[in-house]
Amino acid sequence: MIVIKNRSLRNTIRFLVPFIIVPMLAIGGSLAFDRKKHIIISMSIAIFALLLFSAGFEKKRTGTRRMVISAVMIALCFAGRFIPFLKPISALTIISGIYLGGEAGFLVGAMTAILSNFYFGQGPWTAFQMLAWGLIGYLAGVFSNHLKDNRILLIAYGGLTGALYSFIMDIWTVLWYAEGFELKLYISALITAIPYTLSYVVSNVLFLYILKKPVGEKLDRIKIKYGV
Amino acid sequence: MRSFSEYNPVAIFIYFFSVTGVAMFNTHPVLTALSLVGGIICLLTYDKKRRYKEHIGFFILFLILAAANPLVSHNGVTVLFVLNNNPVTLEALLYGINSAAIIIGVLYWFRTFTHIMTSDKLLYITGALSPKLSLVLSMALRYVPMFREQTEKVRNAQKGMGLFKDDNIIDDIRSNMRIYSILITWALENGITTADSMEARGFGVGKRSCYSNFSFRTSDVLFILTDLSLLTATVIGMISGRFNYGFYPKINSADMGAVGTVGAIAYSVLIFLPFIIEMAVNIRWKYLKSKI
Repeated sequence: MIVIKNRSLRNTIRFLVPFIIVPMLAIGGSLAFDRKKHIIISMSIAIFALLLFSAGFEKKRTGTRRMVISAVMIALCFAGRFIPFLKPISALTIISGIYLGGEAGFLVGAMTAILSNFYFGQGPWTAFQMLAWGLIGYLAGVFSNHLKDNRILLIAYGGLTGALYSFIMDIWTVLWYAEGFELKLYISALITAIPYTLSYVVSNVLFLYILKKPVGEKLDRIKIKYGV
Repeated sequence: MRSFSEYNPVAIFIYFFSVTGVAMFNTHPVLTALSLVGGIICLLTYDKKRRYKEHIGFFILFLILAAANPLVSHNGVTVLFVLNNNPVTLEALLYGINSAAIIIGVLYWFRTFTHIMTSDKLLYITGALSPKLSLVLSMALRYVPMFREQTEKVRNAQKGMGLFKDDNIIDDIRSNMRIYSILITWALENGITTADSMEARGFGVGKRSCYSNFSFRTSDVLFILTDLSLLTATVIGMISGRFNYGFYPKINSADMGAVGTVGAIAYSVLIFLPFIIEMAVNIRWKYLKSKI
């Protein structure tokens, strides 16, 4: 992996990529002429996710190890997407974010979206899924101190991000349908999506409740044993 | 001669971009209908498993999208009926049907794209873009079947130790949770071993090179050239305004004229290009077989 030595550059990347560059790419890409090049937008988001990930560590050895662990988590998420109705992807992304750092959480979320869509169908929505899951993982890393030990906060965060995912995906629905943003359509899209939103919230809460302790313990053990 | 799915991934990629690109930017019902019909036939041709549930799902989505617009938007002059003091107009209904057809048509094309562009082909394209990204993706892709195999091994070992009962649901769930937990521990340890092994072999020291299984043949070049020239003909029709089609306040369409007709024909040839190739391949195969 690339190692970024300069601390201030790392901090700039950590702020710029998840909150400005990736949302701009996703929204701008779906609005502007670039819409038909959706796969290129998804790919460039993926490259930015990797850049963000490289900003998260200082030593090369840690980087390679953490990257492989992230690939393992991505594969687990991918396998989890085959479960009907209840999807553990957000929950696993949140857990990776908490234990491996926000940058790894972003990578796991974004890569799961692009990878599993090879199977479930690529499209302009991929960019938004990458943004939504990436942000969910990144924010989990930012708040990791609070989320790690407080189960109630963690479950609240899971429910909240389930709704957040639905909100972000509905921005895409409206942009696509109306060729521009209309608040009225957005609200009606949100209302029709309520069953889906509920299923996201329920699966986040359920899987965080079941998986947090066992998976978290394993990740902690790996971190102590190998110094990731 | 090769069948369409065996062309170079770059050629297939360009083809899908030109078809879906035109379908997304155009509002003319003729082109929309062409893209929808072509998309449905294309999916039926390349989806060998014939999952009819998918088509029903698409149809339901189509109905919802078509009905959404007249309920939200009240533009248009021809009022069909009044619902809760809001007029439902013919124009809004037709607009809804048209945009639903655009979306569903494009969704069909993406579905077909997923069937034809298997993961190895997509990795070939990503490899050209960024080898490192391609590495992470291919590693995660490889882990999925590996985890499945390991799950079987763990399950057999647990059964051999007598820890696994199938007849009791609660015990079954508990055993499966245990297997999953063992699997995660193993996967993480295995990942660290992989990482150390990669480091030892000099990962990240030099530039990465990629093995590619796809060659660029004359037929690929011919295919891309045909594709681009047909696309140009269609785009000229679109730019010259021959495909303008307005729904509000009253339906008004531009006169297609010669340029528009040529554009529409070019687009229909573009859409049916895979079928033409498949047909030519089939005829040639029958001919060669009859010679034996």
